[in-house]
Amino acid sequence: MPKPFIHLIAILFAAWFFQMGVKPPEETAADFQLNAFAHLPVKFEGRKKPVDTMARNLLTVLSGKQSVRAEDGTKTSAVQWLLDNMSGRPEALDYPVIRIENLDVLTNLGLEERKRLRYSYRELLPNLGRLDSAARSAYAKQDRNRDLYDRQVIKLANKLYLFQNVLGSFEDPSAIPAEQLMATAQRYMRLEGMSIPLMIPPTAGNERWRPLMSTLLAAHPAMTGAAAGHDIAVEPLAVHMGVMMGAYREGNVDLFNSELMEYGNLLQAENPEAFHKMSFEVFYNRLSTFMKSAQLYLLVFVLSCFGWLFRKDGLLSAARTLMIFAFIPHTFAIIARVFLSGYPPVTNLYSSAIFIGWAAVGAGIVIELGFRRRAAGIGNMVGGTAGFATLLIAHFLAGDGDTMEQMRAVLDTRFWLATHVITITLGYMATFVSGTIAVFYVFSGLLTRRLDDETADGMYRMMYGTTCFALLLSFVGTVLGGLWADDSWGRFWGWDPKENGALLIVIWNAIMLHARYGKMVQRRGFAVMAIFGNVVTAWSWFGVNQLSVGLHSYGFTDSASFWLMIFVLSQLVFVAAGLLPVRIWRSRPGADTACR
Amino acid sequence: MKKIFDLFLSLKLTVILLALSMVLVFAGTLAQVDKGIWTVMDQYFRCIIAWIELPVFFPRHLNIPNVRIPFPGGFLIGFLLTINLLAVHMSNFKVLATGGRRVAGFMVLLLGILVTVGVMFGWGTAPVAATESDAFWRVFLRLGRGTLAAVVLYGACVLLYRKRAGMVLLHGGILFLLIGEFATAQFAVEARMTIKEGETVNYLDRSQELELAFIESSNSDYDKVTVLPQRMLREGKVIESDVLPFKVKVHRYMVNSNRPQPLESMSEAAKAAYPQYEGYGSRLYVAEQREVSGATGAINAPAVDVELLDRNSGASLGRYVMSLWFYPNFVNRAWDMPTNFSIDGRDFTSYFRFKREYLASPSGSPYSIKLLDFVHEKYEGTQMPKDFASRILLVNEGDDVERELRIWMNNPLRYARRTFYQSGYLPDDSGTVLQVVRNDTWMIPYLACMIVFVGMTAQFVQSLGRYLRRDA
Repeated sequence: MPKPFIHLIAILFAAWFFQMGVKPPEETAADFQLNAFAHLPVKFEGRKKPVDTMARNLLTVLSGKQSVRAEDGTKTSAVQWLLDNMSGRPEALDYPVIRIENLDVLTNLGLEERKRLRYSYRELLPNLGRLDSAARSAYAKQDRNRDLYDRQVIKLANKLYLFQNVLGSFEDPSAIPAEQLMATAQRYMRLEGMSIPLMIPPTAGNERWRPLMSTLLAAHPAMTGAAAGHDIAVEPLAVHMGVMMGAYREGNVDLFNSELMEYGNLLQAENPEAFHKMSFEVFYNRLSTFMKSAQLYLLVFVLSCFGWLFRKDGLLSAARTLMIFAFIPHTFAIIARVFLSGYPPVTNLYSSAIFIGWAAVGAGIVIELGFRRRAAGIGNMVGGTAGFATLLIAHFLAGDGDTMEQMRAVLDTRFWLATHVITITLGYMATFVSGTIAVFYVFSGLLTRRLDDETADGMYRMMYGTTCFALLLSFVGTVLGGLWADDSWGRFWGWDPKENGALLIVIWNAIMLHARYGKMVQRRGFAVMAIFGNVVTAWSWFGVNQLSVGLHSYGFTDSASFWLMIFVLSQLVFVAAGLLPVRIWRSRPGADTACR
Repeated sequence: MKKIFDLFLSLKLTVILLALSMVLVFAGTLAQVDKGIWTVMDQYFRCIIAWIELPVFFPRHLNIPNVRIPFPGGFLIGFLLTINLLAVHMSNFKVLATGGRRVAGFMVLLLGILVTVGVMFGWGTAPVAATESDAFWRVFLRLGRGTLAAVVLYGACVLLYRKRAGMVLLHGGILFLLIGEFATAQFAVEARMTIKEGETVNYLDRSQELELAFIESSNSDYDKVTVLPQRMLREGKVIESDVLPFKVKVHRYMVNSNRPQPLESMSEAAKAAYPQYEGYGSRLYVAEQREVSGATGAINAPAVDVELLDRNSGASLGRYVMSLWFYPNFVNRAWDMPTNFSIDGRDFTSYFRFKREYLASPSGSPYSIKLLDFVHEKYEGTQMPKDFASRILLVNEGDDVERELRIWMNNPLRYARRTFYQSGYLPDDSGTVLQVVRNDTWMIPYLACMIVFVGMTAQFVQSLGRYLRRDA
């Protein structure tokens, strides 16, 4: 096949792949206008976001997915699920969305283990009291005395409390009898102290975001009567929203749609700012770039492996094009996150994972395009593996809720987020890239005859070059971190776990370079050291965070610690494989001189 | 002898020392699961011989026997690395330039050192430096000054060492960083300041040192304060002084003590074993407990168990337990529990407290800080803090300074060789807690960072260029 044709197919495939799911399902006048509803702004967890994002995040927290799949396979969008719940439709209780993995917890709740591990609220209902008391006794214990069961109970209870609080903020108080109003008002006050969605945006009369239930309570007929003289303004937005909820509950499509229209028009007139960025964020959500890019990177990796092993140039260049066209949306999504959140790209573990993946793929592309003759597909393989692995990690890290969270006071400084965090993350990336090349080096050398002298030399140079970058970036990043600490509390270096983790990467990279300059290692030794660099980096990226809990009495039971252990063990296996005697290697690059 | 000399000249030693330092750092990190950060720092990093405890490497429930392994400590490794670095550079990196180039090189080197020293000691900074408007550029400019020094030094290295300029410069930067950290370990002092809104405070609480203070309030127009520093409070020791009408016998010194509990809530066994105290100790239970974990960021609350003795007869005048928990600034002013007693008709108030240091500028004139207002902003609809800020009035009559300033997260005030950082707040946002640090070498990391950065970049760009030329 001619080359341009291959590129074209790869590009068209990527374009088709990414457009999937962007267009919402068709809605006729006889349907609830869910698409428009998804665009309404709400302030939750300190950030203004469309209802769509809130629904997806909540659903992710509860079930780990962004849509609901019923037992019979029918899919429900996150927005519909949330609207069913907040309007108080009885069948909303039946969505199987609450993920419970722990068998002890399940037994205690009187539930059977089932295949998808997801249960409906109605199934939990009879035993909520028991869960609550178990959670309370777990809370009462000191952190280090909590066992796995306690931690799982706390985790589940926190999710349910959050869910209940969210639903509580959409409660409709209009049916509450007058004599219970004071008690209700007090309950609402308490609820307002929690983290709940603030559905009603600021308007001309009020500059704060407010939750729906309190604003509706102010519109309660008895309340306005009781407060004669206290000028409690009725918020028309809240009334429209309240009627909308009622209409949805009753299944009154026309009323819902017309109220939604009025709500939108009124808000547009009162506070057009509120809609700012909303449709962009919904678009961003629907594109779900990271998931799709991850799948394409996996494809890139598989294609390149074949192309590299059997020296098929067509396959390699198709994979390269595909990688570039998965990288472009990946880049776009990172820029979109910066635009939406107003922070530099890396602010938490989730964003560090997508950023490391992005930079690693970028490095793969640079290797491919910059050193085409020597690279011959290595860049594809590195980009494919690293991109897929990090985006997968990011996917599992997304379960905590909004991934564009606001920063706590001490972390809220654009300067340090933009310098220290980016540099250190790029340092992680470079170490991983070098380590990934090394894994390919050992694999192909041990198991195939592909690693000839020229290839081995090229890979060695790539490892060396990225290690130099890794040292530069991790050193500067670590020192900048110290300078941030100096600027925040006056201690440049405090030997705290996170700092030490970064320092270990710096030292390890320095050891690698000095071992090379001192001619203590050559290609193979350098590759083995680079693989160990993966262990060091993974430990400082994730291990340090586990320290406060992970090493206590029931260490390494949390899933992050578990996967970290698996990763470390796998890398140690690779190290051991790299140290196997040369005579059992199938490739003998430069066998006479330099295969040390 | 020659062997030892050769060893110091080899990169093998470098690799070995770096590997040892990795083990040390790793062990010191894991040790923070059980121990406070300052204990770990003294036991692992700021020492010549470190004692690594075997259990740190294992999950704690395995109950590994507590074997202590001697290991080269941070100072020893740092020292050997320094020797190694100097030795390797002396033998491998000779000054390559001759004649005029050599002279010019040394001139530029001198200039570079001058710029570095100038930047270090605050060239181009105001005596009272607080962020007024753009926080972003403040650090940027500081790094910029570092870069300037680095570039001048790089120029000198190019003149003197030609192609190896980057290598020499970057290792010089590392050395500079190590020296700076050593100086910090030796001389930096950390303290805290707790101020309620509207209050004026003129002293610091030194975080790492404690003292037992006796305040005699018998005189109506002044108080007489006698302090016993922490190092005197050794178990079993009897302390005598001319200015105190009693002797102090130290029964116990507790590195960390529990939050005081009502004595009657304790078990019978605990009550039976509890000494007969006067004062708060008669109603509250205070006992030693294990050190706090450095990983949680908590700090130890030491306590002393002392007995006052008559100066002549040695008869007991009462036994007291005094905990840091009784000191108001330790508990963010939640309570104030002074130990009061009278002896020979003289009234005393006593605290076991952080070592107190009164504020004074380098010229010797005292100054004070008044908290005008404390602001604690949260993100709308959450309990998540968005900003902490203290608006303060700095008054130093001797130096004619009276400034209203704002100290907030990541934006400290630098004045009189001390830096004041926003660190915490009192309950109900009624006041502020400032971290106060005195560290005269605080600029070294900024300089060293840029020096290493310039050196390393130059070196790598050079190698990359060579590689690309060969690839082409």
